Amino acid sequence: MKKIINKPNDVVSEMLMGMVKANPKLVYFKDLEVIASRVKEKKVGLVSGGGSGHEPAHAGYVGKGMLDAAVSGNVFASPSPDRVLKGIQEANTGEGVLLIIKNYSGDIMNFGMAKDLAEMEGIRVEAVVVKDDVAVKDSTYSTGRRGIAGTVFVHKVAGAKAAAGGSLDEVKRVAEKTIANVRSMGMAMTPCILPGVGKAGFTLGENEIEIGMGIHGEPGVERTCVKTAAQLAEILCGKILADYDFAGSECAVMINGLGATPLMELYILNNEVEKILKENNIKIYRTFVGNYMTSLEMAGCSVTLLKLDEELKELLDAPCDTPALKV
Amino acid sequence: MVICITPKEYVEYIELVAKKIEENKDYISELDSITGDGDHWANMNMGFQKLLECKEELASMRLNEMFKKIGMLIMTTVGGSSGVLYGSAYINASKVILDKEQMDLQLLCRVLEAELNAIMDRGNAKPGFKTMIDALHPAVERLKNAIEKGLDGKTALIELKQGAIEGMNSTKNMEAVKGRACYQANKGVGHLDPGAVTMCYQIEVLVDYLCR
Repeated sequence: MKKIINKPNDVVSEMLMGMVKANPKLVYFKDLEVIASRVKEKKVGLVSGGGSGHEPAHAGYVGKGMLDAAVSGNVFASPSPDRVLKGIQEANTGEGVLLIIKNYSGDIMNFGMAKDLAEMEGIRVEAVVVKDDVAVKDSTYSTGRRGIAGTVFVHKVAGAKAAAGGSLDEVKRVAEKTIANVRSMGMAMTPCILPGVGKAGFTLGENEIEIGMGIHGEPGVERTCVKTAAQLAEILCGKILADYDFAGSECAVMINGLGATPLMELYILNNEVEKILKENNIKIYRTFVGNYMTSLEMAGCSVTLLKLDEELKELLDAPCDTPALKV
Repeated sequence: MVICITPKEYVEYIELVAKKIEENKDYISELDSITGDGDHWANMNMGFQKLLECKEELASMRLNEMFKKIGMLIMTTVGGSSGVLYGSAYINASKVILDKEQMDLQLLCRVLEAELNAIMDRGNAKPGFKTMIDALHPAVERLKNAIEKGLDGKTALIELKQGAIEGMNSTKNMEAVKGRACYQANKGVGHLDPGAVTMCYQIEVLVDYLCR
């Protein structure tokens, strides 16, 4: 294992301390691993979080126009309810708090328990669950679709609505509208190594890739050989377009790197994705290319499409100033 | 056989569970790396080691306060899914203990049932989902039946243990519905659920301790 770390057990706290040193507008609460905005305005509070290893998600999205607090668990493990409760308390200014949860069993339970604890303290809390990964079949019976890069659009849209003075119900409504209109599909080329484990949890052959792999290395839909950027764009967009009708609409596009894929390759992919969307009569309103929701040092990418209406366009374009996203 | 569990005895039981979990590191880790992400043993072990660190304080508390404290300690140290599930279980159990200084067989049964209900509620899960519930649910049912039939304490406890063991074994052929194992193509079929195994350990150790 080659990593720039000290002790594996300290990676989360040391990362967050380093982050705050680079971003003085943020404040770090030790042991509870919460990052919050130093400046507090009276508005609906937004809290997200989850296991670490997906940086800049979620602490990188704390700041004006996006989140008010982000809660980190250990690498790929949900934060415990006491940590999430601290995030809620920091984000609450009396107007209520919205939790933005990615759809994983652990996050649903820990954020759910924290919501109960916060409500016992008299804080009004609502929650939305992001499930944008079309690699997983949607299901009301099982955990169902995972939450991946589309979550960043939910942070952006809900954050803009809260910054504009929207009520908790209004902020929740636009968050749910975003969730209903966002779809993602990813692929992986190399595994990632958890600092506490020291070796990869699975292997991919020299010439092998996995379509639909999750951001914790969860199995995808198919293992296949290395493809060209054009072929990959075709596969990933194909899955997304088969799942939801984007034809004739205006979309925001996110080309997301999983950690070890160079921006050069993400731009090449974007060049191909644009062609496919054009062929499908989809107008691109705004494009984001970068590492937004990563999986440690995994190589690979995801493509996210968000179908926009006038309200979502306005909220997407509203200014935000966070370490990882500035509009 | 008369069953009467005080905080001091419950802490002795916790020590035995910690030992049992410690001894089964390789087995549990391996089971979990087949179907999950391989951290179940490490998380559970961390939780029980933390309880050992606090054993003097725990033994000196009132029974319901001790259950609540155990719940909070597990929730904050274990993290992930197991932390919040065991945390919810212990906190819910503290509510049925009320001001009782010790547990008899009937109260033990109500405590276990409160734990089961908390885990099912928080996890939004039922028996048959290939989880820890599949060890605890049949165990509680068997104990309840034994008490209703008026069986003696020792026989009732053996029923509890048998229910847990058979329940744990039944997870081998189940398909996972919740958690990381449900993303596997075969949904973990052919392997025991590690959460059901560690749940079964706790019940086995409890029964062996009470029947010592």
